[in-house]
Amino acid sequence: MAVSQNKLVQWIDHRLPVFTYLDHELHEYPTPKNLNYWWNFGSLAGAMLMIMIATGIFLAMQYDPNAGDAFQSVERIMREVNYGWLIRYIHMNGASFFFIVVYIHLFRGLYYGSYKAPRELLWMLGVVIILLMMATAFMGYVLPWGQMSFWGATVITNLFSAIPGVGKAIVTWLWGGFAVGNPTLNRFFALHYLLPFVILGVVILHILALHQHGSNNPLGIDRKGPQDSVPFHPYYTYKDMFGLSVFLIVFAIVVFYFPNLLAEPQNYIPANPMQTPPEIVPDWYLLPFYAILRSIPNKLLGVCALFGAIGILFIVPWLDTSKVRSAYFRPVYKWVFWLLVIDAFVLGDVGAHRPEGWWIVIGRLGTFYYFFHFIVLMPVIGWFERPLPLPPSIAEAVLKKHGGGALADAAATRAKP
Amino acid sequence: MADSAHSHTAGAHAPAGSRRDFLVIAGNALLGVGAACTVWPLITSMNPARDVLAAGAPIDVDLSSLQPGQQVLVIWRSRPIFIVHRTPAELTKLQASADTSLLRDPNSEVLQQPPYATNWHRSIKPDYLVLVGICTHLGCIPEFTPQPGGSLGPAWPGGYFCPCHGSRYDLSGRVFQGVPAPYNLPVPPHHFLNDTTVRIGENPPNSTFDFDSIAQI
Amino acid sequence: MKPRLVIPALLAGAVAAVAMLAQPAQPARAQAEEATPALPSVSWSFEGPFGTFDRAALQRGFQIYTQVCSTCHSMNLLTYDDLAGPEGLGYTEEQVKAIAAQKQVPDIDKSGKPIQRPARPSDHFAAPFPNTAAAAASLGKAPPDLSDIIKARAGGPRYVYGILTGFRESPKGFAMPPTGGNYNLYFPGHVIAMPQPLQDNSVQYADGTKATLQQEAHDVVTFLTWASDPNMEQRKRTGAKVVLFLLAMTGVLYGAKRRVWSDVEH
Repeated sequence: MAVSQNKLVQWIDHRLPVFTYLDHELHEYPTPKNLNYWWNFGSLAGAMLMIMIATGIFLAMQYDPNAGDAFQSVERIMREVNYGWLIRYIHMNGASFFFIVVYIHLFRGLYYGSYKAPRELLWMLGVVIILLMMATAFMGYVLPWGQMSFWGATVITNLFSAIPGVGKAIVTWLWGGFAVGNPTLNRFFALHYLLPFVILGVVILHILALHQHGSNNPLGIDRKGPQDSVPFHPYYTYKDMFGLSVFLIVFAIVVFYFPNLLAEPQNYIPANPMQTPPEIVPDWYLLPFYAILRSIPNKLLGVCALFGAIGILFIVPWLDTSKVRSAYFRPVYKWVFWLLVIDAFVLGDVGAHRPEGWWIVIGRLGTFYYFFHFIVLMPVIGWFERPLPLPPSIAEAVLKKHGGGALADAAATRAKP
Repeated sequence: MADSAHSHTAGAHAPAGSRRDFLVIAGNALLGVGAACTVWPLITSMNPARDVLAAGAPIDVDLSSLQPGQQVLVIWRSRPIFIVHRTPAELTKLQASADTSLLRDPNSEVLQQPPYATNWHRSIKPDYLVLVGICTHLGCIPEFTPQPGGSLGPAWPGGYFCPCHGSRYDLSGRVFQGVPAPYNLPVPPHHFLNDTTVRIGENPPNSTFDFDSIAQI
Repeated sequence: MKPRLVIPALLAGAVAAVAMLAQPAQPARAQAEEATPALPSVSWSFEGPFGTFDRAALQRGFQIYTQVCSTCHSMNLLTYDDLAGPEGLGYTEEQVKAIAAQKQVPDIDKSGKPIQRPARPSDHFAAPFPNTAAAAASLGKAPPDLSDIIKARAGGPRYVYGILTGFRESPKGFAMPPTGGNYNLYFPGHVIAMPQPLQDNSVQYADGTKATLQQEAHDVVTFLTWASDPNMEQRKRTGAKVVLFLLAMTGVLYGAKRRVWSDVEH
């Protein structure tokens, strides 16, 4: 079946079926019709990736990755380049909003069991994306070469010295010198420019994996027929555009009115290798992992806990033993899920404070709970929980919500005099 | 009512009237405007930044040590600027028709100079010539060869010789026929603050000339 | 997720986020060891979504910087050009040329020798010392560059205002360190290397305003805030247009979405 009557379109499509592919993905690809707004966050993440790449490329045109000039080159962008302040603030705050969106997207997946078969690989690709995002964000933060850029780089690269034997050699190799310096900055710039395109590639794989079996939905039950779904276009294209517009309002308010709300004032001081700042903290989106790292009093085990905290996400599809996907039908897990959310916020707060006093205790409890949730609670609750009965189909569930459906019709007929 | 989804398989949806189409069209239009407004700051960020524009501000050159027959080279807006102190003999030669008949554009009809330099000496004061030293062929810097004759042949009146492809200009920067360069050398905006100081990059008071309007830098 | 859980979930998230974000605004984050009092609250013309810079205050603040602060503090990221025009301090090109010409900046002459020459508008602000090492050698500690000082300190304008007005006699029982210093209420640790820079009538204002310490501090902080963020007014103006446009577009897209979905049970 021809995609279009246009001869040019047909000529191209016969040789490279982009138009057939797009037509299928937009008009035929079935999407569950009951997706709620938590399903907007995937497309928001894609939008943020595009925004970050676009602003990043134009910043890279003006930025100088030499340690003697980097700070000044960023200030030059802010003060001298046409709309440089806007591009910089969008990129700076865009990183934060990218993580907000991706974290919500991740928690959505945890709540609705989107990681369960046959979507395990889809989930794992997502964890790879988050790992790449963290590496990209960490290196990006070093580029302005402020105090926190330099000292954050020093602390995090020093982590690798915990590796027995080769640790010190690896750190020297990362630095390209005796300490974080110009060679480090230059390679971080090269990698920071590269990784977003690697992320783009993994995102494409992520979407391909998604389209193999289609989206999950709030009920967690499979589509059974065309009555359960709608074509992606125009239903979800318009819903996604509306969601993007709402999101952009919040983003715009931060960029234009509170551009330094999430920023660390110390990073507006040029890097000084001879003066350590009173506190060394990464940007907020890395704080929970920072808290986990610091809560273990042993250097090597702390590093293992840090990477383990991300690594454990890979095996979530096998840690969760529930027969049912969506927490909507899981009376116990639906509350336990929120404990993890609270734990994430608590760990974030711990990461922002100096490790002293009560913060140490809370940090250790929070770290313990994090691993306990995944390693113990997820499998155990799955085994012992009695899930609520699942509806027969998505369409049935939607009808019931609106007071229709076979059972309700029968009841209404009986009720008539 | 349960099977309203069946009609959606091929993307055809029940026409719901002009209000829905209006919203859809309006939504798309606003998205287009939004996209254009988002792209604009990115594109314009590539234009010269404020500090680059400021570095292109006019420069003042002291001519008190420039002897007749000599040329000095200064940089304005990253371009070489020739300032020549011409001798009376050179000025006489410039008006000789034997030489001007060999020129492509002897009366400077093509816009390569400000209105106040549209004359036979292509400057404000005949004694001093100010040129942008970029060959109008492919951009090399022509060599200052004011001596008549020599290796350029007995008919050579003196002027500029471009070593890249052999273009020639006279001592007013006017291009000869039969060479690859199409236009006279450009004259930048300039004026004299006093007898010994010329300001390059600024028109005389009460004179406007946009240097970007010339045919070929 | 059930609709009735969405609102509580969002509120919980929002409360937690606000609780976390509210903390860095207080100086306590940077001063865990020494409890400093809450920063003085001052009203600024540039606060809020419609805030602008008071140009008279900017010019008075610049006068204070020039006459007092610039003996020790550089402002390397600003050029004299920045002072001109409505986005600057409101000076004309001629005034800026005159301001610049009063200062000497390093350059090299035709034979490559280092010289000092009068500044041009395109030059960066003349610095009191050629580099931080020279400043530290001369003063004991290198005074920070002030171009970004408002962004570089938690508390921003209120912090710098506090420092300028917070010099006191050290209280009984407080041991000043042997290396010397000056007692300041708001500086972390209370001992600041800088001696009190401003007092009542440290300068004679060109526009005749009474030069109390509070006025001077207010004016110079306004100037420093502009210096840290010269594009603020353009940013807020553009922000208003962008947010209004997005609100309108969101409304239209919501209607479009509702229309598109009107024929599907969902």
